[in-house]
Parts: sequence; C-alpha cells; structure tokens
Amino acid sequence: MAQQITINPVTRAEGHGKITIFLDDDGYVRDAQFHVTQIRGFEKFCEGRPFYEMPSLMARICGICPVSHLITSAKACDELMAVEIPETAQYLRRIMNLAQLVQSHALSFFHLASPDFLLGLDSDPVQRNIFGVMQSHPQIARDGIMLRKFGQQIIELLGGKRIHPGWIVPGGVSEPLTVEKRDQILATIPEALATIQRTLDWFKRTFDNYPEEIRTFANFPSLFMGMVNDEGELVHYEGHLRFVDATGKVVADGIRAEDYQDYIGEAVEPWSYLKFPYYKPAGYPDGIYRVGPLARLNIINFCGTPLADAEWAEFRELGRGAVLSSFHYHYARLIEILNGIERIEHILNKPDILSKNVRAYAEPNRLEGVGIAEAPRGTLLHHYRINEDGIITYANLIIATGHNNLAMNRGVLQVAKHFVSGMKMQEGMLNRVEAVIRAYDPCLSCSTHAVGQMPLQIQLLSPDGTILDELRR
Amino acid sequence: MARVLIVGYGNPLRGDDALGWHAAQQLSENIRRQDVEILTCHQLTPELAERLSRSERVIFIDAACVGVPGEVSQQRVSPAVSAAVDFTHHFDVPALLACTQILYGVCPQAVLCSVAAESFELTESLSPAVEAAVPELLERVYRLLE
Repeated sequence: MAQQITINPVTRAEGHGKITIFLDDDGYVRDAQFHVTQIRGFEKFCEGRPFYEMPSLMARICGICPVSHLITSAKACDELMAVEIPETAQYLRRIMNLAQLVQSHALSFFHLASPDFLLGLDSDPVQRNIFGVMQSHPQIARDGIMLRKFGQQIIELLGGKRIHPGWIVPGGVSEPLTVEKRDQILATIPEALATIQRTLDWFKRTFDNYPEEIRTFANFPSLFMGMVNDEGELVHYEGHLRFVDATGKVVADGIRAEDYQDYIGEAVEPWSYLKFPYYKPAGYPDGIYRVGPLARLNIINFCGTPLADAEWAEFRELGRGAVLSSFHYHYARLIEILNGIERIEHILNKPDILSKNVRAYAEPNRLEGVGIAEAPRGTLLHHYRINEDGIITYANLIIATGHNNLAMNRGVLQVAKHFVSGMKMQEGMLNRVEAVIRAYDPCLSCSTHAVGQMPLQIQLLSPDGTILDELRR
Repeated sequence: MARVLIVGYGNPLRGDDALGWHAAQQLSENIRRQDVEILTCHQLTPELAERLSRSERVIFIDAACVGVPGEVSQQRVSPAVSAAVDFTHHFDVPALLACTQILYGVCPQAVLCSVAAESFELTESLSPAVEAAVPELLERVYRLLE
C-alpha cells in the first residue's frame, strides 16, 4: 500500500512550509512536494498605486532583504522613466546591495545553518540553534555577529535605518555619500575581511565530516541561472541573465531583463502558493534551474576581486562542470561575502564616489519596465506596467525562492529516497530534509507570506490518502 | 562608550507596538547626556549583544501584550536562555542578555519598562490608553537615569 509523509513545519528558514512525501505500493518514495501554504498578494494589491511608490511598497515584502526589493523595484521604475541614472548613484546602490548580501548571507550561514555543522545534524534540536553555537563555539558566533553588523551598519549609514531604508529611489538615490560615512565604512573593512577569511578556513575543513550529505543534499544535474556582465564577471546589480547546464556549458546568454519571458515560464500547482518558474526552452517541469550563490559561482567566468577569485578557483575543483551539490550553497555564500567586502572597498575608493550628482528626474516615459538584480538568495525580477497617468496596472514578481522551487522539491525527493524505506522514516530524516531546504535559504516571506520560523510537518500517506505516519517540529 | 543604553523596540506600524519608538523619540528630544545612547529597532536580534556589552546599564522599552491597557510597569531582567529560541524573531530580553553574557563575558544591568497595550492593529498611532500612559513611562525612565 502506498503512503505519504508530511513534514510540517520546517525550522530555521524564513516562512512557513510543509512537505509531503508519497510512497508507491511497494513502499518506495514516488514523489515529494514542498508546499508553501500562505499567500501575500503583493502583485495584486499594488495595482492602482502610483509607480513611484513601488520601491517603498515592495521593500515591505521582506525584513531580511528589503534592499533587494528596493533596488530591483527602483530599476524597474528607472525603466519606466527611461532614465540612465548617474554613475555615482549606481555605485552607491551597488554598495548597499552588497552590504545586504553580506548581512543576509551571514544570517543564513551563522544563525541558521551553522548549528548543523557545529553541533551535528543528529544532535538534539533543542540545542541545535544559535544559542547552542554561542555556548560551544563563541568565536564563530561573534564572527557571525560581526559580519551581520558590518552589513547592517553600511545599510544604516547609507539609508538612515537598517530595515526598510528609503534612500534608493526611482532615478538614483536620495542623498550623496559623505566623507565621514565613507571613511567610517572603510575603517570596518579589515576586520570584516579577516573574519570571513577565518570562517572560510574553518568551514572548508568541515567538508570531510559530511561526505554523505554532500553526496545526497540536492545533488543532481540542473541548469543554473544568474546575472553576469559582458565579461562574464560575478555581478549583483548590473548585467544580463545567463543559463549554464550541469556540465558548465553556457546554454543561453546575454538575456536582457525585458526579454525574460522568452526564457522563463511560470507554472502553478494546486498544492502550493509558490509559483514554479522554469526554463522555457526545456519546458515544464524539465526546465529546472537553480539560482543563488551556488548558481552564481557556477555561471561566471571570474569573481572580479583577488581574494574571492582565489577561493573560486578552489570551489571550481569541487565539480567537473558545474558544482551540483546544494550543500555547497553554504561555501558559495561565504565566497560571496568575501567578494562583497572586497568590492565595497573597491567602490568606496572610486574618485567620484562623493559626487553630489546622484539622482535623475523624469516623468514616466514608458508604459512597461522590468528590473533585475541579484538578491542574496538569487535573481530577483520586478516587472511593471503602468497607464498614461503612471498608475500600476500590472506587476509580476519572480523571487529567488520561486526560481528554486522545482529544485527544492527535487532535493527533498532525493533525501526522501535516501532516508525512507520499508514504509518508515529513518532516524535523521527530518533533520536532513530541513537541512536540504535550509541550504537554499528560502525566503517564503518574500515569495508568499510568512513571519518568523518555518515550522515543519512530515506526513506519510498511502495511495488513497490515509495518513500512516507523521512527524512535527 | 555609552554608560546607559535605551532600546525602544516594536513594530511602528502596529498600533501600540510602536510604544518603544514613540518613547525613544521623546527621550531623544529631552536627554542631552553624552553617556546615554538611544536606539530603536523592530525586534531584538543577536547583533545587539555587542552593543549591550559596551554598556553598564540598559533600559528596554516595549509594549506588553498582557495587563490592563495603559498600565505602566518596570522590572529587572536577568539573562535566561529560552528553550524555544529557534530564530531571531523570537529573541526576547532575557535571551539577548544571555547572549551578551556568553559571547562577551559581561552583562549590563537591565530593566524592561512597558505599558500594557490595547491594540496591535495596523496604524501608526498609539491607542488613547497607551498614549495617556507615555508621560508616566518617561518619568520612570528619567528616574532610572538619575
């Protein structure tokens, strides 16, 4: 008799989700579904609002990465205004985007994921949290706090506040950078660099402890997508979209933001509020692709900063083509922190960084605009249409967690196949399913609607829908 | 280094949850001491531990979800790790103090000043009961600073 397993809630992720695992008549795993059970409706309720309100409205989607929505929304509005924003404004937006990347990656790695590495995947869940890390590895916990503070302080200095800063506006930024703020940020660079390098050294030494997890954590062939510039450099603000396959071969490149619908389709399923974007040329559901730190490091030709490039060379050694194990999202995240800190320093030392020319002004000059940027969790896309009065008539948002939706489902299925046998869930399965999802650092708050921890429930169901087993956390 | 840190926290868009922000704003306008630092935040996070570790005393201001609306209270708070702490959204004052103690080896004296809330509905205004209690709350903070 076939069965079904449900995991609900999933812990230490942003939002609420539930997982169902279906068994066939012989007790083998047939399918797995990662359900997102709540909806926010930002795409609908912004209709009727003036376009220039969009950055502020969209930033409210998330308290962890408001800057990403602010920037991507502002870029879509730049397109509606048909302006090229001043170069200094681009630099300043990039700094804030990178600061956000650093603080968000630090949150994901140190606060959410590190308890698994430091305390063990099978340790007591009551202890396996940031407090457990503080007690057993206080220096690592302090390092996490330091890197979070580094990013948040930059956001606060530039935007006036750490959460939901309003400094990024259509046309540029609202205020130029001052000498004092620039120097204050530059002074924090050396400690931040030393901290992330120390973390990388430690984390790479732990790989030998997790050969099974590296082998089974959503380790499968897929496409990868992200932004690169014309040289194929790692970028997070300005560039075009590129897809590579599992061998590392570029399958689509130079995709402009406004052409995204030629390459990305969005499917829906009745069992989740989260959409299922897919690579159109491969169709649904075969067009599975991944975004985020792992994808970005798989699609680029180089990072563009010396220390990150050295690490990237080591990262590339992990796979013959693209690095496929989602376990290495964590490693990629750390390399991106390193790159982000180096790049912030580089941009701050540009001679015109203190220019007062930071904003272009215009009325709407186009009725449609698309903005893309790389958020910490992956490519973020905002697509707006307006009427002649500048009022929003249509909005489509594709969030990183959405891009990764098919891949997360595939990853859960892979773990389930490994840990479910004889119509029973083996010890450790719950922890590993959670850890696989956590590797993607999903933000269900962004993609739908949620606040706080992501509870986990696993249900084991028969083919006729009978609940045979259930786990909850 | 600020000798006293005042932290007003809550969601400024959710009615009485904005108490900490309203109080911090008024305190900022009235306190001119170099040794007092005032900050506001939506929620307590582990990052605050480093800042706490550099203070001798800390005064937290937050709305309380229990009690008679408008009722002002203050209590000393000690470090304590909650077994339920699983993510930063659930960080409370005892947990933050414990975090400070564990990571930095010091822990400031801490007092939580609060006013029982009437409503956490979507608004940027305090309810009449909480609004009326703000002067008493501020008076208590001033006394703590003496």
